[in-house]
Order: sequence, then C-alpha cells, then structure tokens
Amino acid sequence: MRGLPLMLLLLAAACVLTAGCTGGDDAPTTLRVVPAGSLLLPMEEVEAGFEASHPGVDVQIEGHGSIQCVRQVTDLHRAIDVVVVADEALIPDMMYRPMEEGDGNYTDSYTTFATNQMVIAYTNHSLYADEITSENWYEVLARPGVVVGISNPMLDAAGYRSLMTTTLAEDYYENDTIYDSILGDHLRPAPEISQDGATTVITLPEVLKAEGEKVRVRDGSIYLLSLLDAGGVDYAFEYLSVAEGHGLNYVTLPPEIDLSSAAYVDDYKKAVVNLGFQRFGSIGSERVGNPIVYAATVPNTAPHPDLAHEFMDYMIAEFSEGHGEGWPSPL
Amino acid sequence: MKTSFIQCLALVALICAAAACGCTGTNGPGAQVEDEIAWNLTLTDGTQEKVLSFSEVKALPAWEGYGYAVSTVGIKYGPYNVKGVPLTALFEQIGGFETGDQVGISAPDGYYWVFDDEQVAGKGFVTFDEDLKEKPSPDLTLVLAYEFNGTAIPEEDGGPLRVVVGTAEPGTITEGSAWVKWVDTIEVERS
Repeated sequence: MRGLPLMLLLLAAACVLTAGCTGGDDAPTTLRVVPAGSLLLPMEEVEAGFEASHPGVDVQIEGHGSIQCVRQVTDLHRAIDVVVVADEALIPDMMYRPMEEGDGNYTDSYTTFATNQMVIAYTNHSLYADEITSENWYEVLARPGVVVGISNPMLDAAGYRSLMTTTLAEDYYENDTIYDSILGDHLRPAPEISQDGATTVITLPEVLKAEGEKVRVRDGSIYLLSLLDAGGVDYAFEYLSVAEGHGLNYVTLPPEIDLSSAAYVDDYKKAVVNLGFQRFGSIGSERVGNPIVYAATVPNTAPHPDLAHEFMDYMIAEFSEGHGEGWPSPL
Repeated sequence: MKTSFIQCLALVALICAAAACGCTGTNGPGAQVEDEIAWNLTLTDGTQEKVLSFSEVKALPAWEGYGYAVSTVGIKYGPYNVKGVPLTALFEQIGGFETGDQVGISAPDGYYWVFDDEQVAGKGFVTFDEDLKEKPSPDLTLVLAYEFNGTAIPEEDGGPLRVVVGTAEPGTITEGSAWVKWVDTIEVERS
C-alpha cells in the first residue's frame, strides 16, 4: 500500500511526458504547398485566407522554380500536398509516370487556373527609361551601355521564356538581329542556334555565363528585382504580375511574342529552348514555346489528399476572382 | 517518509530525463561524424575511374571554412562551418584538371551541374551579403563537404557529400544551384 502513491505519481508523470512527445490532439495539421516563385506574393494571401477558415490547419508555403517544385515529389520523394507550377506542361511531362515505390503515377490530373505574360520591367533610374515603349523596346535594350537581366533558363521558366520572347521577336519585327544583340552575343559560350523548318532551336551550353557587362544571369527572378532596385541592371524580362507586385515600371509586348495568348500557340511553338544535356533525371531537355498557364495538382503521395483538394479548390477560386496587381490573370 | 519522498523525486527526475532525450532526439544521425557511412564517390574522366569510400574521401587533406547558400526564391541555408575536400584535390586522383576542362557533378536524384575551369578556380560566382544584396566576390573554393558545423551532413541537408562554394571568412552567400546534394559522381570532361 505504501508504494501505491509512488506508483500513481510515476504513472501520472509518464502520461504527461508521453502526451508531450506525441503532440496530442491539438497539434495543427500541416499542409505543405510548393508553388512557383512568381506566385509567392498572392500565395501569402491564399494561405492566410485558408487558415482563417480552417482552424487547426497550418499551410506551409515553400517556393521554388517550377521544375524544382515538381522534383520535390518525383525526385526527392518529399511529403507534398499541393504542387503549383508556372508551366502546365511540366506536370504531365514529369508526374504522369509511375512512382518508384507504390502503385500508380505521381499524379494523373491537374487543373489550370491562371495565365501571365512576359514584360520588360525597369525603374525610373534605368538608362533611357524616358524613351522605352512597347514599340521600340528591342532597340533600347540593344543600345550600348544598357544592361539586361534574365533568370537562368536552366533553372527558371521565366529564364527560358526570355529566350523564347526575343527569338519570336525576330519574326514579328522582321529583324534577325534582336536575339543576338540583346542576349546571344553576350553569353559565353554563345548558345547554338539552329533552324528546324520554321522553328528556331536555342541549345544552351553546359555552363551558361554572361560575357562582358551587357547581360546579367541570375538563378531566380527575385535577384533581378533587387538588381533593378540597385541599378545593377536597367531592364529585366519578368512576368507581368511580378513587375506589378513589386511596383516596377514595365512595357508590355505584342501578344504574338509575350506568351500570353492561346490564340498564338502555333506561333509560340516556333521557339524551342534545348538544355543540351539531361539537366534533371525526371525531365526532358527540351522546352517548347507555349502560352504561360499556371497549373496545380495534388500528388498521389500527398499526406492529406482531402484537405489538399480543398485547399486547391479554394486557391483556384481566389485566383479566378482576379485580385489585381501581383496576381496572375485568371484564365 | 523523507527518504521515500526523495526516492520518489529521484525516480520522477529520471523519467523526465529519459523522456526528454526521447523527445529531443539527441542521438540523431548528424550528432557525430561517422567514418563508416556507406557511400561511394566515383571519380572519372572517361578514360580512368576511381571509386572512393566515404572514409577515403575524409582521409584526403581537409579544407575548413564557411558556406552559406540561397535558393532561387531567396530562402537562405546556413551559415555553416564547413569541412571537406577541395575539388581540385579530388581531381588529382584522376590526373588533375587543366585549363579548358569542365566537370559534371551528379547525384542519385538525377540532379546534374557543370562547372567550368574558371569556376573550379573559384571565379565567376555571384555573391551576396546577409541582406541578399550583391557584393564583390571574395576568394572562393569549390569543396566537396562532409561536415557542417562539426557534424556529418544530414541526409535532408544533402549529406553525406555535398558541393559547397566555400569562403575563408563568414558572411558571404552564394547561389544554391551549385550546391549539389548527395554527390556520388564527379566526371571531368577533358578539353
């Protein structure tokens, strides 16, 4: 009998400590979402709105380049609930394939929900800021002393789309010097250009670097934004929503070359960027010009599939409302 | 009575200590540097090939310094105190590295990154300060790291072997795309 209080005390202590280890029933459910970097600003609002209507759910947003978003699931085998990319083609290309372990594909469907367009972003301090227009942008960018920024086409969809836009501009303006004078002549080694019928193929070297002071290549477009602020570049190829979201000046481009419109899909396909080598295990090396379309999917490996679908529906509804600056346009 | 009470307190304290160890995971994989990690590194230049075990990599002359990376969307990883082997020391195992050569570094997850001779010499990288503002590049060293902050690199951080763009002094951030995780193959492309 003397040992009974002691046993009870020990039992109580064990119960308390065990509850501490397991977290109990009050622990929030973590929903892990990996969106393309160009969606980070609007996704902050989506996260806040969903959490407000779902007490006990902690939405964790982890931005990456679109290819890296998919790789979190297919190559790194992380427990991701929702994947959101800035190039809808990446999902069937990289995720409609059998999982290494388990049955079925990484995913079997996706939903498109927004679009964007390439623009030329700049600040009031950019060289010739008072002269650039939607008509003369390619002449201004080619001028001596003007510094142009692109994100790395090997890592970032906005990067290979920058190459596509300048390539398409040559046909549109009937001026075959545009790509070389703005980008091609200022990369080392220069990417190889070849023609396949009406299609222009840009093949990247294994190491892509800027030659001289004309062009700056950075891993992600956020670094171009800070370079614009600091005067390190005069003009940068960006998405419209990113330029607006950061309060930058910009000039729009004709829809025939800005990758915004399904009406010009056959024209866009005439620009192809080839990485020249197998950059990642799970994706081919060729990117074909297409309208910019954002897409989302819940992987078949998602830890919380029902909640993930609920989040995706909420997110798509928010984007469909067209919130304005910083948000891509609804489809 | 007093003795029983003290014994009781001691037992409770013991349980607390044991449970705390279980909660905090002090025996995690990164708690110490293991010489016996089962991991092979293949070095090749297309004509010769050498396979080093993890312990053989660690037995090479070590480089110690600092590393700090940033992702494409601005997430910072580090800073780390880094210990590893300079890539140039690894190249010596297969005949060195000449001007014009390139090296492709890959991992089992399919990631592949190429460095040219300028980068192998520590040049041509973009460098940032703590606020992610670009700054002039200090001397940089390409390292195959096996230790972060005095412990083996955890698998979730790219261990056991990860490329680091290292600096002799702290406070420099470099683009994370070059920090190849889980390195298992280094292939020199001769010019």
